[in-house]
Amino acid sequence: MIRSANINPEIFARRKRTNKIGLTLSMAAMGLGMIFLLWILSVLFIKGFGAIDLNLFTHSTPAPGSEDGGLANAIVGSLMLVGCCTLLSTPIGVLAGLYLSEYGDRSRVASVTRFVTDIMLSAPSIVIGLFVYAFVVAQVRHFSGWAGTIALALIAIPVVVRTTENMLRLVPGSLREAAYALGAPKWKVAFMITLRAAQSGVMTGILLSLARVSGETAPLLFTALNNQFFSTNMNAPMANLPVVIFQFAMSPYDNWVDLAWGGALLITFAVLGLNILARVVFSQKVQG
Amino acid sequence: MSNMKTMFDLNRADSQGGIVETMNQGPQHATINALEVRNLNFFYGAFQGLKNINLDIEQGKVTAFIGPSGCGKSTLLRTLNRMYDLYPGQRAEGEISFYGQNILEPGQDLNLLRSRIGMVFQKPTPFPMSIYENIAFGVRLYEKLSRSEMDERVEWALNKAALWNEAKDKLSQSGLSLSGGQQQRLCIARAVAVKPSVILLDEPTSALDPISTGKIEELIHELKNEYTIAIVTHNMQQAARVSDYTAYMYLGSLIEYGKTDEIFIKPKRKETEDYITGRFG
Amino acid sequence: MPDKHLSSQFDADLNSLSSRLLEMGGLVESQIATAMRAFTQMDIDTCNVVIENEKLVNDLEIQIDSACTELIARRQPTARDLRLVMAVSKAITNLERAGDEAERVAKRTRRLIESGVPNNINVAEIRLSGQMAISLLRRSLDAFARLDTVAAADVVQEDRQIDEEFRAFVRKLITYMMEDPHTITTGLDMLTIAKAIERIGDHAKNIAEFVIYIAKGSDVRHMPHEDLVREANKQ
Repeated sequence: MIRSANINPEIFARRKRTNKIGLTLSMAAMGLGMIFLLWILSVLFIKGFGAIDLNLFTHSTPAPGSEDGGLANAIVGSLMLVGCCTLLSTPIGVLAGLYLSEYGDRSRVASVTRFVTDIMLSAPSIVIGLFVYAFVVAQVRHFSGWAGTIALALIAIPVVVRTTENMLRLVPGSLREAAYALGAPKWKVAFMITLRAAQSGVMTGILLSLARVSGETAPLLFTALNNQFFSTNMNAPMANLPVVIFQFAMSPYDNWVDLAWGGALLITFAVLGLNILARVVFSQKVQG
Repeated sequence: MSNMKTMFDLNRADSQGGIVETMNQGPQHATINALEVRNLNFFYGAFQGLKNINLDIEQGKVTAFIGPSGCGKSTLLRTLNRMYDLYPGQRAEGEISFYGQNILEPGQDLNLLRSRIGMVFQKPTPFPMSIYENIAFGVRLYEKLSRSEMDERVEWALNKAALWNEAKDKLSQSGLSLSGGQQQRLCIARAVAVKPSVILLDEPTSALDPISTGKIEELIHELKNEYTIAIVTHNMQQAARVSDYTAYMYLGSLIEYGKTDEIFIKPKRKETEDYITGRFG
Repeated sequence: MPDKHLSSQFDADLNSLSSRLLEMGGLVESQIATAMRAFTQMDIDTCNVVIENEKLVNDLEIQIDSACTELIARRQPTARDLRLVMAVSKAITNLERAGDEAERVAKRTRRLIESGVPNNINVAEIRLSGQMAISLLRRSLDAFARLDTVAAADVVQEDRQIDEEFRAFVRKLITYMMEDPHTITTGLDMLTIAKAIERIGDHAKNIAEFVIYIAKGSDVRHMPHEDLVREANKQ
């Protein structure tokens, strides 16, 4: 038995040194990443802030050559597209995730579904846009907000399915058993207990899917296209921020370029806000 | 091969061969069994978890199951409310008679069965809802109660679980806001609220501190007048404290079953004695 | 089949309890033997030895009882272990009382010596039953050491002989005392000594009954002898 304090100063000094080296390297790496991130954000801010004014939200996109204008139609259009996408993708995604986790655990159908979902998660969004173009737009021979919604939904659904399934799987089996032990039928256990226990996780998944689709450009190029004027007709081409940015950023008109930066800033804010909201919602679950 | 005598034999003969009146029985002679297990074999896939179990669980009494890990006591408990049905690959053969009805027969309404035979688990699992809703959830499954009736039922159940005083001012707070011991009592209140005939307890106090454990043991004692209780425990002293009958299991077989006093003072089998005195080979 | 507890300390405690009981039994045995020697030889010094050593017997009773209580508090013994502890706790009471009887024999012997009255009574019976009592006690302790219930049943049976001897002696005493009233004082002391030996036999019998309780779980006190033998031979 060692009866003294037995603290070796040399070993301690060596450990301190090693610790310092490790710490320095990690902080340097972090610093490098942060530099680029902050650079992007600051450029966005600098270039885009100038375009933020009341006009941005009240005027529609200007015609080539005309002055001023805003992004009102694009903002409203994006909101409508993303909103309809959510309405479409959330029920489908949540129910599919519920099925995968609670009902189809080991069935063939379930494994195939999971496989397809995983592929769709990493499918190039332009391919999806093209697909919807071929099967919706070409059929009716015009672009529409509905087509855009469908395209966005096809991107959002796999995200929701995956996160829902994962969050539901995190719910301990003992909770389900407790509900079964009371005589609850399977669907009640799934909906009223398991889903409820995972609700903040599922909500987070939905918010993250929103954040993802808010910035998608390629699918909208072939489906909703763009609309120069203010319109809420989903059956017709719909203005939206990503395509407007695409169009305006490379144009020779200065006011268009400014508006593009402004739009980029708006989208960044939106995505940032959704991510923060998702974090807040999730952390509440952890505490409660 | 079972060395089990019937309940009748165990009740009548004492160590000196004299006839003894068991205290709780009063003038009636035939014991009523809530559950009768006959020739029960249980399989996890190819592995046999229970071997030819024959056993009665007497109504209104507490029956404890003891034995080393892997002896099958939890497995046996989970066959009694067909909990194993949730997992494919697990199957039971034999007969389990619940007040005369064989619950192993196919075509049973399992959900209804589980509302008649309730279960409380080792880990407290309050639902992610308010305390009130936790209890109302189970009740609503099979009964339609008005708001005031439901209030009464919730209060009654919480009283039965000795939780009313601590919870009555926070019924709308989440069940997760209670302490561990309180959560387990909430789970007991939840099980009691649906008024089952039998309550199965699977190591209900393993995760709790001694005071919470003591409260729950006290609860078991009060509940046994109106419910039949079967409890699995790895704490032998707990089995000695709370139960009327004790069953010792080992490697899937029922080694000995009898009145708790006899098992703990004068067990019939050497294996039983070795286990309860702490002589593990 | 395992015979050791998972806790070797528990094993050690139980074994210690048993061996201390046997130690106390040995001490009481020697006290009785010494008292009988004092009586046979009418030697006052030997009497005093017994009377002084009685304190050791009492101390042992207290120590062993305390050890029993500690064991129960710490280990919550069950089944065979529980029966052992309960039996030990009771057996030491019997041993302590047997020790008291030995002291009584010594004290009465001392009084007989000090009174100076010559003894005319034939005390062969007392000597004989004294030897029987010592043998019985030894055998009951032996049965305890080996948890031999058959030997224990024999001890219970043979205690009757001591009782018979006692009754025979009482009859003889009465005859003497009726013939010669001067012998009454001496006779009463003799009676007390004889009674003390008879009681020692009873204590040995009790210890034997506890042996059956430990080994078989049956409380055979106050049982008719055939039932006791049946319990002892049960397996």
